[in-house]
Amino acid sequence: MNTPAALAAPSPAPVRGDAKPTVLRTEGLSIRFGGLTALNDVNFEVKRDEIRAIIGPNGAGKSTLFNCLTGVLRPTSGRILFNGENISGLPPNRISQKGIARSYQITNILPNATTLENVRIAAQSRRHGWNMMRHHRNFGDIMGKAEAVLASVGLLSKASELAANLSHGEQRNLEIGIALATEPQLLCLDEPTAGMSAAETHDTMQLVRRISKDLTILIVEHDMKVVMELAHRITVLHYGAILAEGTPADIQQNPKVLEVYLKT
Amino acid sequence: MTKRHAKIYWTGFTVIIALLVIAPLVLPEFWRRFLTEILIWGLLAMSSDLLIGYTGMVSFGHSAFFGLGMYGAAAAILMVKPPNLWLAILYGLAASAAVAMFVAYFSTRLRDIYFAITTLIFSQIFYVIIFTWTEVTGGENGLSFARPALGIPGVYTVPFTSTTLHWFVLAIVAISYLVLRRVTQSPFGMVLQSIRENEARTRAIGYPVERYKMVAVMLSGLFAGLAGVLYAIQNRFAAPDFVYFLISGEVVIFNVMGGIGTLLGPIVGAGFFLGLREGFSRLFPWIATTFDMPYLAEFPYLIPVGIIFILMVIFLPQGLLGFMKQRLNQ
Repeated sequence: MNTPAALAAPSPAPVRGDAKPTVLRTEGLSIRFGGLTALNDVNFEVKRDEIRAIIGPNGAGKSTLFNCLTGVLRPTSGRILFNGENISGLPPNRISQKGIARSYQITNILPNATTLENVRIAAQSRRHGWNMMRHHRNFGDIMGKAEAVLASVGLLSKASELAANLSHGEQRNLEIGIALATEPQLLCLDEPTAGMSAAETHDTMQLVRRISKDLTILIVEHDMKVVMELAHRITVLHYGAILAEGTPADIQQNPKVLEVYLKT
Repeated sequence: MTKRHAKIYWTGFTVIIALLVIAPLVLPEFWRRFLTEILIWGLLAMSSDLLIGYTGMVSFGHSAFFGLGMYGAAAAILMVKPPNLWLAILYGLAASAAVAMFVAYFSTRLRDIYFAITTLIFSQIFYVIIFTWTEVTGGENGLSFARPALGIPGVYTVPFTSTTLHWFVLAIVAISYLVLRRVTQSPFGMVLQSIRENEARTRAIGYPVERYKMVAVMLSGLFAGLAGVLYAIQNRFAAPDFVYFLISGEVVIFNVMGGIGTLLGPIVGAGFFLGLREGFSRLFPWIATTFDMPYLAEFPYLIPVGIIFILMVIFLPQGLLGFMKQRLNQ
């Protein structure tokens, strides 16, 4: 994750957009459940190394958008381009292999496995997954990767603890660790600070900032303080459509956004 | 596993194998055969543990893999002259692998009870085919044949005695156990356990879950077929009864009694259940003659077996071995 080049480079200034290549682009993305249009003609673009927040009132389609991007839901129409390649309709495992990872709004880990195993199994998904004849602990590359990821999310001291026994905040960070272990280019974080205390929220924000050095991040978040501090750009969803897009400063002054947020 | 654990484990393993090697030398003929049979059923139960205990899929189709192993062995023994033990194993494995591939392809798209029912239906389909295709399978009567000799035909062979057969079965079951144990500890095995714990998450981190399940079913079917081959060699017949789903049900019972997800547990479960059944089937006639209570002679002995099973499910849900493991860890 931390390549020497990335460490040497000065910390990136907020990306204004034009210089970096596009990692993710949606074209006319729509999804309908029966009569309900959950996403309606969503067009947006995320540049490399950007932190993009997606906000909107409850039911605006934020999680649905994530589910489309990660293959859990198949869009009714439109395309999703990841590094220029159309990935809409691919199953979740194929999309993961392409380099999109996600963490879940509701903690989604292997509760009866250790913290290390949760991350190790994710690291192993890139190689050796079909090996049947060697003990899983004898793969130095995978174990090294898993331990490095645990260290980066601050859980190395809990490596041999059952994931079910971690605190809520630690489980949320393990979520991020599992996603990181798959070596993604694009990381989708679905409310990473949900249910966290103020101190935990602060730590997780630091964590997100740290891992964002050479990673594109999409983040859905209700905590406006987190959004405004972290995001380079913000996309506002309302009733499944894009209401506004811009820098945190723009969004805070956008009358349409204010109206939506004051009404709900 | 720590160093100390590993030492205890391998000491225990060696002691048990040594006891099983000595057992046929001291046991009378009937119990010698009985012990061999327990090992064979244990292998079948262990193969299904790979699905039930490690992947979280309950298969009710293991009778099909077991039965096809039997018929595959029968085909080799009846068609190839002189009968060749190794060809019997090869044919049996090929037959069960073919069936397992077929069943796996269709059933792994489904989950939970739908998977169980699909495997059950497939095993019943094979039962009906074998039962009705009399010209090839011998229909209701099955096929009977002579037992092939141990060794390489044309070079050196010795006929099996019940003792050498026991050792042969023991060797195959022990090797199968070690192989399956390694598979469950391998990266592949960890993926299966991850699927059991959280299938959607396993898919989300990049694993083609259906393909892993398919391979798991095939692997499990292969070892079930191996058990079928051994059973055919021991009993010198292949019969449609062994393709019938009641056998699959017993396999699940062995797993539950012995402890799922432990590999050895199902063997313990098979031994416990078969021993219980054998014991009770003798107990009532014995009481009837000893205490002069003739009305007890015909007592349905499966009733107490069933009651014990129900009590165990309630009070020992982790099974015999699971319970022992828990106790040892404390």
